[in-house]
Amino acid sequence: MSSNINGQIVPHPCPHLAEFRRTSSKPFRSLHHCLRIKPPGGRAAIRRDPDEIPCCAACGLSSPSRLYACMTCATVSCHTITVDGDSLSHAAAHAASMPYGHQIAVDVDRAELFCCACRDQVYDRDFDAAVVIAQTTASTLGSGSTAIPPLQPENLRKRRRVNYLPWAPDLHERALIGSCSSPIGGATDDSYHFPRGLRGLNNLGNTCFMNSVLQALLHTPPLRNYFLSDRHNRYFCQNKSIDEGDSGNAGKRSGGINGNKNGRICLACDMDAMFSAIFSGDRAPYSPAKFLYSWWQHAANLASYEQQDAHEFFISMLDGIHEKVEKDRCKPHSEGSGEGLGLLLVTLGVDNCSKPQTIRANSQPQPAGLMVLAATSVSSSSGDCCIAHRVFSGILRSDVMCMACGFTSTTYDPCIDISLDLEPNQGGSTKKAAASSNHACNGEADYSSQNCGTSTLMGCLERFTRAERLGSDQKFFCQQCKVRQETLKQMSIRKLPLVSCFHIKRFEHSSTRKMSRKLDRYLQFPFSLDMSPYLSSSILRSRFGNRIFPFDGDEPDATNEVSSEFELFAVVTHSGKLDAGHYVTYLRLNNQWYKCDDAWVTRVDENIVRAAQGYMMFYVQKMIYYKASDKQVAS
Amino acid sequence: MCLMKSKASVNRPPTPDVLEDTPEREPTLQELINIKLIETGEKERLMELLRERLVDCGWKDEMKSLCRAFVKKKGRNNVTVDELIHVITPKGRASVPDSVKAELLQRIRTFLGSAAL
Repeated sequence: MSSNINGQIVPHPCPHLAEFRRTSSKPFRSLHHCLRIKPPGGRAAIRRDPDEIPCCAACGLSSPSRLYACMTCATVSCHTITVDGDSLSHAAAHAASMPYGHQIAVDVDRAELFCCACRDQVYDRDFDAAVVIAQTTASTLGSGSTAIPPLQPENLRKRRRVNYLPWAPDLHERALIGSCSSPIGGATDDSYHFPRGLRGLNNLGNTCFMNSVLQALLHTPPLRNYFLSDRHNRYFCQNKSIDEGDSGNAGKRSGGINGNKNGRICLACDMDAMFSAIFSGDRAPYSPAKFLYSWWQHAANLASYEQQDAHEFFISMLDGIHEKVEKDRCKPHSEGSGEGLGLLLVTLGVDNCSKPQTIRANSQPQPAGLMVLAATSVSSSSGDCCIAHRVFSGILRSDVMCMACGFTSTTYDPCIDISLDLEPNQGGSTKKAAASSNHACNGEADYSSQNCGTSTLMGCLERFTRAERLGSDQKFFCQQCKVRQETLKQMSIRKLPLVSCFHIKRFEHSSTRKMSRKLDRYLQFPFSLDMSPYLSSSILRSRFGNRIFPFDGDEPDATNEVSSEFELFAVVTHSGKLDAGHYVTYLRLNNQWYKCDDAWVTRVDENIVRAAQGYMMFYVQKMIYYKASDKQVAS
Repeated sequence: MCLMKSKASVNRPPTPDVLEDTPEREPTLQELINIKLIETGEKERLMELLRERLVDCGWKDEMKSLCRAFVKKKGRNNVTVDELIHVITPKGRASVPDSVKAELLQRIRTFLGSAAL
């Protein structure tokens, strides 16, 4: 018995609560004066007088587990259930002995409503809103004239949603596509039967850190769609004026770039070239030499043949794409070289992706066709600057609460990825329970049962979002107390990115011992991940008890629930030591796993992936993950 | 005007004063300790500590999955809080780690020593 309003499950009130609401004009008004918030930032409780020690009117005990105050007559009764459960508790007896209308009571220590007749918790929107507001004002009290109205941050960042419209070509467009393109043939390389776009990358001298990340990025669905639908065309790009030809032999031509050294590099153009080459159908390993060269120019401090950190490279290259694309977006009017579009691959929109058609354009550039494609894209929402950020950028929320007065300051920070600490390996039996039950929440219970005691990605995320007491050595300045105070800090995810990249901190630096080492501990990661427990809305909700109330990030439509489900599509693994090792990427295409080890791509069993030592995990929102997409594996 | 309104809504029996209900009875030692614990704020601190320990040791997650399993078995519309408490409480009490109990007990002992009841 529940209905879904505002994306929340709202249980129907029980008949007693409905009756109670109907008969009293201001049902909860008397309670407002009794709401006490235990500082700092504590839960709400019900006390008539701040120092009152409530006890049961029937037995006089003040410390049974549950004490309820009748909403009608304010009698406090305990609700200790006897073991056999046949005799009535004092609260239930009170409701039964009084004339009709004394069923609804409030838990004095939790400020939650309870129906003594139904013997169940009940929810009331107005009551819950009043409690939440009382709790919020308690933590922002005293900020004087600048006192922000409670819960304002929740509404600050209301995203404007553009309704999704599937695109189907009309007759004219169909004719245009038909005349300008021809379908790419079936599996040209029958020996593989691999999905299109699976192509090894040559190691150019300790560049497996780059290859591993590139493989993941090349198969990041939103990124792939962006480049393959020609949203960034290297021939039209404003940032670069060189006429670099076919990307397939970029390695040989590296001399040609040298003349263009005045910083006019565009990593997105190189990505575009790479996407064209990777999805061309050619299966021979590809050398991303030109990309490497451009990246060296972008990140001069990392330009060497030494081994690098894959995560560092990931951040650096997204940064590079961001810098360049930001400047030239939406300016595809200048015609590039006469060489034409080369390869134009179009992956159709989200809904049509069950069988995306791939078409190859003729060598003549077709601006008209381009316009059609551009029009299909949902207009980019404001604030998103470039493709790198549109895909990977989320918003983290950080709450720092003063332990003395309860004043909470909230900040929002954009993030490209989430770096997670491996759980410390103290490994008590109790820790195991945490790990395994966490796992069960994410629906892989069978796998975890035989495997308890290992750390899991969910465990890491749980620790990431857990409230953390900052010790006396790292006090924060409290705006309200005007002195540095001990604080409680809690992180949560305000906005999920389309693609979540989790980076596991496997490299541990110890400043005291002046040494670093690699943590080889195994971390279990699920193939399907539900991120909803780590969202700001869930984290905030848990602070206020069980309430019906919209919290930060709760969208008016029910889309939130959908978009918090993620599917794993790439895992970058590292083997070896801190200073020398090897990166390998596992890719999930058509629900089949492939191991990309530089130039070698092989099909692997999913258990090999599960057993791998993950360093970076890439998850994509389930609604844009194509489980049975592209091409049938066995054609 | 205010008076009128509040008068109109008074259709309930007078609020019984809880403290007056048990004036004759001597509070037991247990109750005295409890009151002392509350008055000093120690009870709040102990509860906070306990909450933290139970989360840390995985007890809370364990309870959560027990509850989940029970609700799943009974069907989500057929479960009441009372029922859940009735079923889960014995398991919960039994699975609190001894180390947590010992720590709490030690804290309470120290408190009693300092409070000199």
